[in-house]
Amino acid sequence: MRASSRRVRLGAAALAAGAAALLFLALLPGPERRVYAGSTPAASQSPADEQEYASPLEILLSPDGTRLYVLCQQSEDVRVLDTGSYEVIGTVAVGRVPRGMALSRAGDRLFVTNSWDDTVSVIDTRTLTVAATWPVGLEPSGVVEDAAGKHVFVANRISSDIAVLDARTGAEEKRLLAGRGASYLTLSPDGARVYATHIYPNLPPLRTGLENRTPPESEITVIDARSSEVVDRIPLHSIAGVFHLAVSANGRLGVVAEFHPKNLVPLAHLEHGGAFAYTLTLFGADVGKPVEIPLDELDRYASQPFGVAIAPDGSRLYVTLGGSESVLAVDVPRLLRFIHTRPRPESGSFAQDLSASGNYGSARIPVGHNPRGLALSGDGHKLFVANRLDDTISVIDTSTLRVATTIALAGPKTVSALRRGEQTFYSAHYSFQGQISCSSCHIDSTFDALTWNLEPNGFGRDIVDNKLLEDIKDTAPYKWNGGNPNVPTECGPRTEKYFWRSENYDARTLTDLAFYVLSLPSRPNRWRQPSGELTAAQERGKSLFERTADKFGNPIPLENRCNNCHSGPKGTNQKLFDVGTRKTTDNPGPLKSAPLTNIALTAPYLHDGSARTLEEIWTIYNPEDKHGRTNDLTKDELNDLIEYLRTR
Amino acid sequence: MRFPLAALSIAAPVALMLCPVCGLTQNAERAAPPDFIVTAAPAYVPLAELHGQERFPKGAQLLLVHAGKAEPLVTGFRASADANVSFNGETVLFAGKRSAGDPWQIWELALKDHSVRQVMVTATDAERPLYLPGGRMVWAQRTPAGFQLQSGEDGHPTPEFLNPTAGPGMLPLAYTRSSTFPADVLRDGRILFEAGFPLGNGSTPELYLVYADGSGEESVRCDHGRPRWGGTQLASGDVVFTHGTTLARFTSAMAHEELIQAPRGNYAGAIAETASGAWLVSARTATDARYAIKMWTPGSAGMDTVLARSGEDLVEPVLVAPRTRPNRHPSGLHPWDYANLLALDARVSRDGDVKGKPVSVRLEAQDAAGHAIAMGTAPVEQDGSFFVKVPADRPIRFELLDFKGTVLRQEHGWLWARGGEQRICVGCHAGPERASENRVPAVLLRTTEPVDLTGNKSVAAAPGGN
Repeated sequence: MRASSRRVRLGAAALAAGAAALLFLALLPGPERRVYAGSTPAASQSPADEQEYASPLEILLSPDGTRLYVLCQQSEDVRVLDTGSYEVIGTVAVGRVPRGMALSRAGDRLFVTNSWDDTVSVIDTRTLTVAATWPVGLEPSGVVEDAAGKHVFVANRISSDIAVLDARTGAEEKRLLAGRGASYLTLSPDGARVYATHIYPNLPPLRTGLENRTPPESEITVIDARSSEVVDRIPLHSIAGVFHLAVSANGRLGVVAEFHPKNLVPLAHLEHGGAFAYTLTLFGADVGKPVEIPLDELDRYASQPFGVAIAPDGSRLYVTLGGSESVLAVDVPRLLRFIHTRPRPESGSFAQDLSASGNYGSARIPVGHNPRGLALSGDGHKLFVANRLDDTISVIDTSTLRVATTIALAGPKTVSALRRGEQTFYSAHYSFQGQISCSSCHIDSTFDALTWNLEPNGFGRDIVDNKLLEDIKDTAPYKWNGGNPNVPTECGPRTEKYFWRSENYDARTLTDLAFYVLSLPSRPNRWRQPSGELTAAQERGKSLFERTADKFGNPIPLENRCNNCHSGPKGTNQKLFDVGTRKTTDNPGPLKSAPLTNIALTAPYLHDGSARTLEEIWTIYNPEDKHGRTNDLTKDELNDLIEYLRTR
Repeated sequence: MRFPLAALSIAAPVALMLCPVCGLTQNAERAAPPDFIVTAAPAYVPLAELHGQERFPKGAQLLLVHAGKAEPLVTGFRASADANVSFNGETVLFAGKRSAGDPWQIWELALKDHSVRQVMVTATDAERPLYLPGGRMVWAQRTPAGFQLQSGEDGHPTPEFLNPTAGPGMLPLAYTRSSTFPADVLRDGRILFEAGFPLGNGSTPELYLVYADGSGEESVRCDHGRPRWGGTQLASGDVVFTHGTTLARFTSAMAHEELIQAPRGNYAGAIAETASGAWLVSARTATDARYAIKMWTPGSAGMDTVLARSGEDLVEPVLVAPRTRPNRHPSGLHPWDYANLLALDARVSRDGDVKGKPVSVRLEAQDAAGHAIAMGTAPVEQDGSFFVKVPADRPIRFELLDFKGTVLRQEHGWLWARGGEQRICVGCHAGPERASENRVPAVLLRTTEPVDLTGNKSVAAAPGGN
């Protein structure tokens, strides 16, 4: 009797508790689900830890919405996921360091650019195999096929142009000049236009003597998709770093994500947008003249916008914030109301108003480390976000603006020191109010082609060119004045005080960061022949580089020979010299001989970025032959010297 | 008969679990209010100290409220107030007087055994202590010019940082001839403080910010007007404060305050945010009533009284719980006895662009007696920029002059710059929402030497060390 009664009581209690718990769960906001695409954590622990990280960079949905294509840059493959189960349907290996991806309109072919191979992989989406590999230009990045299936457009980052390929054969038909560091392409929904953006500012076309003190200029290159001709260049004033672009379904609104640096103002503090504004430029019939709008707030920055997508009904747009580790949702009707009701500044930019975004920003959704590419489902209900440094995909429910599911891609489940260092490099978490990270200026772990005025050296003094980070191991000391003996010093106290202006990482994180920075390899040098032999011009240039006497037979002092200061495998003897390039606004002291790694890519030149080209180093800034004996050289000989330097 | 009751006894707690999602949070909080500390006082005069008076003229006592029951936090003190719980939730800084004739001093209590130590000894009142990261604290120290922000070590061993914030030792953080009181330490490491507006000569309570080395002083927002005081930063980053006798907030996206639609009442001073998002507030229903501690869930219509005491006002609720440590500010001050200020465009102002063309800027500094001393003028460039070297650690202000020397605009109050500070102003009173434009100011294309307005020969600048 008592046992029976207890059973009854327990049963009733269980029923009540169960019902209440069910109700409780039902009333909670949808909990985030975590699914594993390709492996479970337990199963993958040992063998997968030997794999490469996936590093998903871009994602696409198939036209019918059943497949998610994930471009994994580090594992160098495309993973195809079923959008119902998030199971991996297939994995297709592609070339080195893939960067861009696009589907043909029918969805039967997937084009993937392999940025280190200078090729495009053409994947047959029915068989999930590479059907063809096309050679293209230097460092292909963005890719898109036109609506007619006639041409494939490829943005080449190094050659700063757009290759127009025959869509059937891959044969290149023409090149179109784009902005410097051409990288991202978008086809308008009506198929009429291809829009191209670029990550480095264009070099000033005219010599003024103040090239390094003038605002950067970028552009959206507008191409007629049918005639394959450039029909417009929408100027982006004061912008350096332009990323993805989206056009609304009705074609009336174009949006591009971009960086608006403050490199010309002394970097004395970060408050009030002291280092960067992160903005969108809007264009199209909905806005009239292009207009720039900020994403930042007074006390919280929208660091490093990258991907952008517009909801099918045009109600919202979404922007991934690579440094802020979140996705920003923008209310488009409110945004348009703001643009049309606020007096528009003469500059066409609201970037100076940090309170502007309060008029249209609707939510900031935390996601994983370094979110990059994003894709909206056809109905606009799901937003897929590639978290590059987490190896995950966040699936955001756009009705709740919360992450509903996180898809973990197969790969190592432990975070290595190198990975932690890379996460730190790209995270704005450490800087004051989350404004900047290393990657704000070292875009994609490279550079930004800008000169900066750092505060400690004096306002308006010691203007410094930002340098490439590739292959900097064993090139200490660092900084142009050689003031930092090693990378931990460069990235530690100095960065905390004069860049982040906020509490820095702990010692372990700093070690990881330094490890990552010192691990960055040099990308393939495109001016070297595959055979390793030099061309005739390069050989002549090499002779000039190594010469010990000038053309008149006069011996060149050791300290004035190119290959003395720029000796060794990385083109630096790591010593300091006065080569006569200091300006009156520079503090006294010698300058470090700069490494020559991939020197062809890194204009402008000299410590303060005053030389737009390699040639200007000698034709303008070496009047007394202090920076090597060069004034006896002809134009052709300087060309030869440059041809050789490009191979370094 | 027994089984429905038994079932109910199990279902009831489950139902309580549901409360947060059913909008019944208040009930749940009422059932288990978090532990907190509050100041109880027979008489409470808000803002009296800004005007040199005593907030608690009849004394005050800190109470620890656990499970709804209040007990004295400390014994052996004639008066105690201004509790601030450490980041790890283990100790409490407070201001206390052992006897009525003592000045307020800074003490620290260990919560585990309620042992008390005096953190430091000062000759005058020391109040409103707040923990700073990096083993330091900030408080208000009475001086001949009113209460002033000071910082010093909190007496706890700290890990060695790559770059200590400031110090060691005592460091004044405010350099104005009017009272300043710390209100909170924001997550970004800046100290939120109260002072009159305009700073240095005004009497309307206003909220300001300063870095932990005394640099970067500025208003939180520039929509000045009604009194703002008692600011607290929430987990969201918003700063909630008392606006007159109601509540308002600063939110990151907006350049102006936003009124909070809270239940009718008179609110006083800082609030405390609980883990559930509810707020502990000090409020009273009528001006002749006593302040009580109430719990309110933002968005809800009513609020519950958590603690009320006959004949006493209860103010300054502080949660007894660990909390997120703010960022430490890495001081980048140079070893100079002056500061450099660069205005990007002095014509730009929240008050509207200046009428007339400014051709020069005049600097005034206050001497020890509070008199304004003209320090000289510097040219203003065509683009509105100027670059000056100014005396450090004392009140200064600027006036824009036209070619006749007529004052076109002058600052409302006084500001200061720390020794070794290099600071950029987007405009004159441009507001924190105004970001800089990316261009080289004309003055820096003409010269990189600031016009010396210090009135004395300064120590030469040390070489840069970035």
